[in-house]
Amino acid sequence: MKIKNRVLRENINSYLFLLPFLVIFLIFLAYPVIYSFILSLHRVTPYTDLYNVFSDMKFVGLKNYLKLLNDSKFWWSLIVTFYYAILTIPGMIILGLLLAIFLNNKLPGVSFFRSAYFLPNVLDILVVSLIWTLIYSPHFGVFVRFLEWIGIKGFSEKGILGNPRTALPGIAFAMILKGSGFGMILFLSAIQNIPHSVYEAADIDGANAWQKLIYVTIPLVKPIILFLVIMGTISSLNAFTEIYAMTQGGPYEVYFLGEIQGATKVSGFYLFENWAQMRYGYAAAISYVLLIITLIISLINARIMRRKF
Amino acid sequence: MINERRIREFIKRVILFIILSIGAIIVLFPFFWMLYIALKSPGKEFVLDFSFVKPFYANFLRVWKNESFPFGRFFLNSLIVATSGATLTALFCSMGGYVFAKKNFYLKEFLFWIMLSTLMVPGMMYMVPQFAIVTKLGWINTYKGMVIPHVASVFGLFLLRQHIETIPDSLISSAKIDGASEWQIFRTIIVPLSLPVITTVFLLTFLFQWTNFLWQLVVNTPESMKLTLPVGLALFRGQYQTQWCLLMAASSFSIIPIAILFLIAQRFFIEGLTAGAIKG
Repeated sequence: MKIKNRVLRENINSYLFLLPFLVIFLIFLAYPVIYSFILSLHRVTPYTDLYNVFSDMKFVGLKNYLKLLNDSKFWWSLIVTFYYAILTIPGMIILGLLLAIFLNNKLPGVSFFRSAYFLPNVLDILVVSLIWTLIYSPHFGVFVRFLEWIGIKGFSEKGILGNPRTALPGIAFAMILKGSGFGMILFLSAIQNIPHSVYEAADIDGANAWQKLIYVTIPLVKPIILFLVIMGTISSLNAFTEIYAMTQGGPYEVYFLGEIQGATKVSGFYLFENWAQMRYGYAAAISYVLLIITLIISLINARIMRRKF
Repeated sequence: MINERRIREFIKRVILFIILSIGAIIVLFPFFWMLYIALKSPGKEFVLDFSFVKPFYANFLRVWKNESFPFGRFFLNSLIVATSGATLTALFCSMGGYVFAKKNFYLKEFLFWIMLSTLMVPGMMYMVPQFAIVTKLGWINTYKGMVIPHVASVFGLFLLRQHIETIPDSLISSAKIDGASEWQIFRTIIVPLSLPVITTVFLLTFLFQWTNFLWQLVVNTPESMKLTLPVGLALFRGQYQTQWCLLMAASSFSIIPIAILFLIAQRFFIEGLTAGAIKG
């Protein structure tokens, strides 16, 4: 009887401590996964009460998903997202690794450089995007002027972001400069954990710097490279703010499946647009498909990780 | 022979130092550029010279007290949202982390598993359902609408659980023998001994809330008085496309406090942000 009492007390106490977290978790993180699916089977009714939209939706079954299959804008947004991932992930990994290798030397001011490269990571992404919009802007933007100065004149009229070919790479470049300090810190702590004897052994075998990088360093930091690939993929699927601030999905000069498409319209931005146009059911369907894509990517990555390590 | 090697080593270091310096200038250039433009007079943003507006804080003052876009107010809103969000998150995560680390209770494994699996859900997909829930609760244009949905940080809970597990059980049981209540144990043993990790969770949440744009755009209508800095900036830019010096002055209100905070508490930021990677 006494033991039973103690177990009960322990349970009550534990739940009292957990309660605030658990309630918020269940309402705002667990339930939405189910609720989002329910919403995706519904559609906002026209002429609905603006303050009561969500209680007033009409059940449409799988119609939203069927519509999604034939939506060229949705497929295009997936392509752009994939392209964005390809543009950002290798750049961040290579730059992060290079910086880490450079900083792994005895130099004056190493800790200053470490802070300087990491700092942009913590700054507001909206503000950073606004500053880059200014730098990339036509006629007066300092980047365009620099290009003119070295003899490239093609960007004077529309700037970097007004040109469908350079808009997404331009955004990716800004985000690589903002984000590569994160990889740098991870690589740096991994490289510092590699015993010196490994490099000494390579020295004795007559390996040059390049060979040491390819045969010693990279294999030993592979888990971090994989981690950065996963993180980069997920953040491409989450990309929104930089697109919102820099291009709003445009310029609209690309043809795909017979329709004009925005050159930088990633799936996150397309989802936002549907939300902004109050197509909540359709937006929920898009987010569900994106969730499934993310889960598949995570599973594939988990499998690769398990096989290699 | 030794001398030659030393010279080569020296030259290598000089070259590395120069490369790293140029790199740092490139990486930090946007922020210098922001300050540079913020100090120019309106209409002369694109004249590349060193003539600045007088007094130098004129642009900052104008946006701080602007009538339709009161950035002083936005700054205060951001501060309220970030501070209250960080405080609640740090508190709830420590309480939850404590029971997950030190107690046995019904459904513990199951809850742990559910929390772990929500970490895989990309943030973007929460936009629509969370917006629907917040609308139903009538929390549009409120601080709680901005703060509460993000207070249950699973990452923060795991970070704290992992740390609290290392606190010896003997400390807790001896306090129990002395007649301490659960809350007293939490307050006098668990919290003081996990203060560095609690600080990390606090700072990371503060940063997350301060820079969160999408959610605060979603829960506020444009005429809301609760707009935070990033949302205010985005709306300001929509109206005054060409007033770059004012926009950049307003941007510094968001950038400068975070940069200072980062330089003071660097260790916590870096440890916290990389903790997920090293453990995963």
